[in-house]
Amino acid sequence: MPPVPTAAHDTDDVRAAAAGDRQAFQRLYALHSGRVYGALHRLAGYDHARAEDLTQEAFIRAWQKLPGFRHESAFGTWLYRLAVNVALMDLRARSADPVRMVNEEHLLESGETPFCAAEREELEQAIGQLPPRARAVLVLHDIEGWRHEDIGNELGMAVGTSKAQLHRARGLLRKALGERS
Amino acid sequence: MNEFEWRRQLRALRQPQTPDRDLWPLIEAALDDAPVAHKTIAGAAARTRSSGRKRWLLRASLAASLVLACAVGWHMLPALTGKTSGVVASTTWKPADPRLAGAAIELDAARLELELAIQQAPDSAALQRLLHRTEQQQMQLRHLADRAS
Repeated sequence: MPPVPTAAHDTDDVRAAAAGDRQAFQRLYALHSGRVYGALHRLAGYDHARAEDLTQEAFIRAWQKLPGFRHESAFGTWLYRLAVNVALMDLRARSADPVRMVNEEHLLESGETPFCAAEREELEQAIGQLPPRARAVLVLHDIEGWRHEDIGNELGMAVGTSKAQLHRARGLLRKALGERS
Repeated sequence: MNEFEWRRQLRALRQPQTPDRDLWPLIEAALDDAPVAHKTIAGAAARTRSSGRKRWLLRASLAASLVLACAVGWHMLPALTGKTSGVVASTTWKPADPRLAGAAIELDAARLELELAIQQAPDSAALQRLLHRTEQQQMQLRHLADRAS
């Protein structure tokens, strides 16, 4: 998993926030919210409302867990990982609903529109229509740069399953964008 | 679109994004209800004291073990050499024999370390046991010195 670039001077704010300083935590929020929200927005299928909820949840959990932060990694990396975990937990909770899963599996059947140039917006829309687990694997691997081993650990699936989900997600995405894989 | 272009476009999506609205007020409001145990200076001091006690315990244990090894070695020496030392320990506990003197010094040092450690951790049963054992070793050493005399 690639490290998340972060400001080197946020260490003081991290320590202060761990001691209960909310202003310091607000500065950390201002510094890192864009990256966190961006990742959660992608994982949430570009659903703004859900991404906002997940972002709030991520920062609340970060506040709670901050006293246990051991500075073994950059704060930004720790926060990013925590935020992704929040999104994946939400994904698992939603995936527990079999009706929802079946419906989402068929979402792309009617999405075979002719497509020549993958414009960003269309690409995002197509990703947003992927089934949740396939989308999570595609976002984490192809966009966020995670390895299959890390994805498998976080999503509770074998490496082979992660690879299969990625292959499926790419196929569905190409299909949605009007390309044959 | 070839594979390279495909990957490039996907990677290009990895960018920070700003939420449509400022989420901080909502987060801050939720922090009031979020249970958390923040680090405090008192907590850090307690951890430092605990760490200090552990260090003392370790040092005292090492010293006591060293003394025990010396005492056992000294005790077994006559059997190994087949003769007694013949050195008399004085009543002021300053034996002339370097082996006895060495053991006595080690025991005194161990006892001193243990007493200091117990001042910092008066409730430590382990330190009390070590001190008791060290005192017994001092008694044994005195008996050995008496017998040798």
